[in-house]
Amino acid sequence: MNRTVLIVGIAITLALVAVLFLGLGKDPTAIDSPLVGKPAPPFVLKSVNTSETIDINQLRGKPVVVNFWATWCGPCFQEHPVLVENARVIPNVQFVGVVFNDTADKINAFLHQNGSSYPTLLDEQGKTAIEYGVGGVPETFFINRKGIIVAKYVGPMSTEVLQANVAKAMTE
Amino acid sequence: MIVTLLLAVAISTPPQGQPLSGPALDQRTQEVASLLRCPVCQGMSVADSPSTVAQDMKHQVRDMLSKGYTQEQILSYFEKSYGQFVLEKPKNPLVWILPILILIIGAVVVATTAKKLSAEPTAATADPEPATDPYVEQVRKLVNHD
Repeated sequence: MNRTVLIVGIAITLALVAVLFLGLGKDPTAIDSPLVGKPAPPFVLKSVNTSETIDINQLRGKPVVVNFWATWCGPCFQEHPVLVENARVIPNVQFVGVVFNDTADKINAFLHQNGSSYPTLLDEQGKTAIEYGVGGVPETFFINRKGIIVAKYVGPMSTEVLQANVAKAMTE
Repeated sequence: MIVTLLLAVAISTPPQGQPLSGPALDQRTQEVASLLRCPVCQGMSVADSPSTVAQDMKHQVRDMLSKGYTQEQILSYFEKSYGQFVLEKPKNPLVWILPILILIIGAVVVATTAKKLSAEPTAATADPEPATDPYVEQVRKLVNHD
């Protein structure tokens, strides 16, 4: 009897330790997006800096980086130069900024001061952000040539993180 | 117009309820928003959160109810983007059943173990020392002499 209790106790303890150990490397704030592996939700939004209208479906055929951000977001300010620089140097990848809970004037002032190398779209009432399951900014989605979301990154990206995810969008 | 079209594409089914307006719309917006978890808050529903994301979501709920989308359609729409995390009441019944099941199994294991342990004879009763054990006798003699 004592042996059975011991075996059951060890089994339960090992299972608990395994579960806790597997959770060690995970970011508790990161929530898996149900959109990864699925077609990118469609949107048609106006650009505030290039006066064009962007339809995400029209961008099929090349990888797309969709970055949700806002001028009132500190980490977005930190991430902005990384995006601007990489959009300039990475060929055949379309970068798109989507700004929500913000105004065109503030966005243009921000871009004028910090530079810009890709269209920045205004998402009024945050409907596109909701479609993409955006909780906070910045959040970035990587879409492959077929229009499938292959990765989502929450938080400000470094060049290494950005390029690794772009590579994923280019190969998958 | 574009937003309406995109919304229809996103939900993929036409509204299956009656379009709401006035106080009924306000009340249902509050009710449905209370079933959605605010993605940037700690334990707050979309109905209660003052965050801008929650406000946008609440606005979207209101918009959809005014177009005639049902509660199920609206919850399913948000679940598609945010996952089951966004639902205040998870759809998977295991979330509710599993903890109770584990508790019951644990109680049964403890009760069974306790019963078996109490039924097992103790070392003293199971193997009483014979009164005539020469070793015990020797010890008694030594103790008495002291």
